[in-house]
Amino acid sequence: MRKILVPIKRVIDYAQKIRVDPSKGAQGVQLKNVKMSMNPFCEIAVEEAIQLKEQNKGAEVVAISVGPKQCTETIRTALAMGADRGIHIETKPDVRGDYIDLQPWAIATLLKGVVEKEDAVDLVLLGKQSIDSDCGQTGPLLAGLLNAPQATFAANIERGDDGSFTVERETDTGTETIKLNASGKPAVITCDLRLNTPRYPTMPNIMKAKKKPVETISLEDMVKELGLDLDEVLTPKHEVVEVYEPPPRKEGETVGSIDELLGKLKERGLVA
Amino acid sequence: MFSLTSRLRFGIRYAIVPSRRNASDHSKNKLRGPLAQDVSYFRSVLARPGHSVLDGTATQDVKDEIDNRYNADWTKNYQGSSDLVLRPQSTSEVSSILKYCNENYIGITPQGGNTGLCGGATPISNEVILSMEYMNRIYKLDDYSGVLTCDAGCILQSLHDYAEEKGYLFPLDIGSKGTCQIGGNVSTNAGGHHFFRFGGLHGTVVGMEVVLADGRVLRMNVDVSDDDNNDDCTHRFQQSSASLRKDNTGYDLKQLFIGGEGTLGIVTKVAVACPALPTSKNVALLVCNSYSDVLQILKTSKEELGEILSAIELIDSNTMKFVQKYGSGIGDHLISELLSPEVEAADKQPLFILVESQGCDQESDSSKMDAFLTSLYESSTIENGFLAQDSKHIEEIWGIRESCNPSVARAGYVHKFDVSIGIEAYMEVAEEVSDALENANLSDLTVCVWGHVADGNAHINIVSGQCDKDAVREETIENIVYSSVMKRKGSISAEHGIGQSKRKYMSQIKDGAVLELMSQMKNLFDPHFIMNPGKYLP
Repeated sequence: MRKILVPIKRVIDYAQKIRVDPSKGAQGVQLKNVKMSMNPFCEIAVEEAIQLKEQNKGAEVVAISVGPKQCTETIRTALAMGADRGIHIETKPDVRGDYIDLQPWAIATLLKGVVEKEDAVDLVLLGKQSIDSDCGQTGPLLAGLLNAPQATFAANIERGDDGSFTVERETDTGTETIKLNASGKPAVITCDLRLNTPRYPTMPNIMKAKKKPVETISLEDMVKELGLDLDEVLTPKHEVVEVYEPPPRKEGETVGSIDELLGKLKERGLVA
Repeated sequence: MFSLTSRLRFGIRYAIVPSRRNASDHSKNKLRGPLAQDVSYFRSVLARPGHSVLDGTATQDVKDEIDNRYNADWTKNYQGSSDLVLRPQSTSEVSSILKYCNENYIGITPQGGNTGLCGGATPISNEVILSMEYMNRIYKLDDYSGVLTCDAGCILQSLHDYAEEKGYLFPLDIGSKGTCQIGGNVSTNAGGHHFFRFGGLHGTVVGMEVVLADGRVLRMNVDVSDDDNNDDCTHRFQQSSASLRKDNTGYDLKQLFIGGEGTLGIVTKVAVACPALPTSKNVALLVCNSYSDVLQILKTSKEELGEILSAIELIDSNTMKFVQKYGSGIGDHLISELLSPEVEAADKQPLFILVESQGCDQESDSSKMDAFLTSLYESSTIENGFLAQDSKHIEEIWGIRESCNPSVARAGYVHKFDVSIGIEAYMEVAEEVSDALENANLSDLTVCVWGHVADGNAHINIVSGQCDKDAVREETIENIVYSSVMKRKGSISAEHGIGQSKRKYMSQIKDGAVLELMSQMKNLFDPHFIMNPGKYLP
């Protein structure tokens, strides 16, 4: 096995309470001083890549992220988990990755360019979706653009000696197992929750990660290098019309006794 | 000698409260349990009697509920035999109850979340249990001073949630926060994980409302009414302040109730000063080989993390192994990674240190933490470590720390100790105790240590494989631990309080004049000795 490319995304930490300022219109998600971390599904993708690397000597895991300068920290986490090197496509600080500015089409277009430039990429592992936009489109779009075989919502991945991938994937009614034959194109697989439990990057690995190479290149330069159109990439294909907080749940009422409960139910005509 | 009555599995009804040592207080011997006419009285003065009066003599169901929920403590070491639980909904109800009980010499055991570890909220006989669980309103949080005012029955977690909504952090954080109530926390002067950063309740509680034994209500820098129907405003002109940060006008009486364990009065409302919610939190779990490395971490953390350092906790390997075996599963993978087979094979006894930082600048805090961990690792002060990358990791690391107590409880019968020692000597006590236990031929005991190391507070838990409670064995172990602590001029109760379990030591550990004053204080506030009999003072 040669190269495994793992695109990772830096998103608002899953436990953060999202605050929306409607006066700022559709852009009104409060991002200042909010805790960010690696998208949980991307973490699972990195873990899977490392496991495959451990099973296939000589494989190289490349972590790639598109975002502001703080993305290097996210890439360092991937390196500490065992990735070999990182690529950081740096965007200007005001470019938003949560579907307002950068959208899956742009990311998939960039990734296609990187896959072709890197050459020898056998597998692209992505998280099934990011927890900020919940689109789930980047993986499938990339497969489409590359004309590559894909499997989404992977719960288990097995690599065959012939370079094929057998993927058990989650469906609404259970699981489905499909085989991606070796095709000369990288297999594109998106990872779901049950695939693995990401390892903990402990100190010795964090120290090693500091020495691993991370190539930083600005979005503008990368676009130029790949022969793409910057406007094409930066102009979102979809417009976010509105972002709002869900209406607060109505508070329930505590009653003191069964009689009281009956009384209330009768009051509301729910019980005769 | 300790009172055997407190250790009996079956509650016994006493007409007289037992084990008095202070013979000069004859009034104490006049205490009685509630009778039918008392129950009728309580039903008549409480607004929702069907709700607020649990009469154990009425049906077996009620008796069972009282026994399961109120008569036993969390550790199951103490069992009361109360037949009556009162659950008032306002300060005026509490006042009516106490006034009546005081006039009729009926003993009262105040109870909050019933999570205490010294039997302080468990009746020693058939006292009336006064539960604060229905007094759980949060009144307000001042947007500028951060002072939060609430009822004493508020569950600690709800205060955290409320304050967080408004951008504030409730300054007290302990493992039982899902169940414990702030009134109980205040009455036991609970310490918790962030004592190091925010100080204790003696500092953060700025106001309090208390009901005394005779029914009088003391309002000290708290001025909210919970009685929507009967909003008597006259008192407001007498009382001068509410929820102020500073007020130096007289003796600070509320300090007596903080840590007073319900023996001087019942706390009904509190006002607590909350710091602003930090927006950046970092947590790391470190592994070191010896306590001298831990001491180095303590020093380095103060230098390199400085004002953002918010907590340092220690967990020894015996404890960590119990967490691995009996914990709820949280942090399992992390523990396996850090307590790896190589560590086991090398017969190492690593010490685990949790370090937390809280600040308001993500980037700067993260880089401080990173530099801190790197310097510890490069100087071999730590053997290994893990810095949380996201909230899930933070929850896991704290989950491990908060699992210590319940995991150890599942491992066997636990002899629980909570001691304060000089930080340098922190592990010495555990080592000395281990040796002494071996020399005393006491077998099948595992000494576990965890706790707030930066406060010098060690939770020493000795786990016994034997489930029977042998009073002699228990006393021997107690003597071994306490003599080790006391010879180092430590405290036998750092934060858990006295309750029933440490009462017998009071005369040994307190200066005579101090004890005398405390006794006089008790006589002044509670001359009929109805407030939480059998606890605290000898």
